[in-house]
Amino acid sequence: MGMTHFDTYVPRQSVIHRWSPRLKLVSLLALMFAFATVQTLSLVPWMLGLAALLYGLSGLPLSFLLRRLNYPGLFILAIVVLLPFTVGNTLLWQWGWLTLRQEGLQATLLIVGRFLSILTLGFILLGTTPFLTLLLVLRSLGLPTILADMTLLSYRYLYEIAAMLATMQQAMRLRGFGLPRQHWLQVNGQTLQQLALLVGNLLIRSYEQSERVYRAMRLRGYGDGAQLNLGQFTNHQAVGINLGLSGAVLVAAVGLVVAEWVLRR
Amino acid sequence: MHIPDGILPAQVCAAGYAITGLATWYSLRQINRKPDPMAEIPKASLLTAAFFVASSIYIPIPPASVHLILNGLLGVVLGYFSFPAILIGLFFQALVIGHGGLTTLGVNAAMMGIPAWAAYHLFQAHRYLGRKLPEPTRIALFAFLGGTLGLGLSVLIFLTLVILHLPAEVDARAEQAAVVAFSLGHVLVMVVEGLFTAMLVLFLHRAKPELLES
Repeated sequence: MGMTHFDTYVPRQSVIHRWSPRLKLVSLLALMFAFATVQTLSLVPWMLGLAALLYGLSGLPLSFLLRRLNYPGLFILAIVVLLPFTVGNTLLWQWGWLTLRQEGLQATLLIVGRFLSILTLGFILLGTTPFLTLLLVLRSLGLPTILADMTLLSYRYLYEIAAMLATMQQAMRLRGFGLPRQHWLQVNGQTLQQLALLVGNLLIRSYEQSERVYRAMRLRGYGDGAQLNLGQFTNHQAVGINLGLSGAVLVAAVGLVVAEWVLRR
Repeated sequence: MHIPDGILPAQVCAAGYAITGLATWYSLRQINRKPDPMAEIPKASLLTAAFFVASSIYIPIPPASVHLILNGLLGVVLGYFSFPAILIGLFFQALVIGHGGLTTLGVNAAMMGIPAWAAYHLFQAHRYLGRKLPEPTRIALFAFLGGTLGLGLSVLIFLTLVILHLPAEVDARAEQAAVVAFSLGHVLVMVVEGLFTAMLVLFLHRAKPELLES
């Protein structure tokens, strides 16, 4: 798991940045679900076009999206390599044992199209909304306190614990830990034991740190009806942007669902 | 083993969210019944972060290396906190690296979280079953079963969902071969995950037994 920096908010002055976070979350989620309903190939360009238009409006650099597509790109690669050559009976092209099939190609275009469109919307949401604001919005939409507090605290200590693990791994390497050469399909018990102890130590250190954190939080009144302070998100964005963008995105979402229903009939 | 966006139809994604909503509600209800639920939140949160970080460690299973899912271990250590912990971990993964997805968050959380509950209950059975065995053996055995069951159930749910939503034109024989290959590959990973869980739980039992009193 490649861990990049968590808060990937890119400060800009675009309309998507100025869109009310609450309306943005609800509208973009509705559009993501509408994208997930698409089963007709002719709607894929519309879906990709909508995602591209919103990305353009967000003012996020293209490199932001490309960098984040590295990991999910492996999934796209697997689909592109497998489906067009294994699924379906209608041959489009053949070279030796390699045959390109129409049904597989259509399924690939559909899956990759949906995948890229939904993922782009997710990254628009993340790139234009600070993580804490997103959490505040979720809480304002009814996210239970325990879940909100756990998310905030996990987020707060994630990189500290990752740094702790990196230090422990470095210490192990300095003491000679390395992955020895192994035989085919043979799991090295000693390596497994050492890695289990590493994770065990990480859990114990995190647990002990959590006790100190809890005592500090108690001293500040946590648990006596007080919630973790996430601050307040201001909602003074232009009414026009809020209504215009939310309306347009929701109409697009409903339009896609209706178009899908009509085309499938 | 996360299901990415774009694979499942919207109805299944919505059903996943409904199941996850219900499971989260039940988990929170059980957590709120504890004598001091707020005291447990920092512990569960930091352990959630630690599990998230630990899942990046690769275990060499020649000829490749895999990263463990650890949902069985999460269930064993965190009990009813394991479901919210998995939900949060998957939310982070979807946001940070695009692993999994936001529309499939509910499905993935149910796929990983419900087996974590099963692992928790199975591990708790060591208090009542096999009492003739020495305590460390009993703990290691039930931790192994919990770790294996956690991943095993997740693999089963994953396979069911993927098979049900494969394109209709997929050749049945090729589909069968792929399922067999995937299952066999994961049997080995399940055993390794079980062994890893047993070793780790035994270590925690010796060094910090209160961590296992979820």
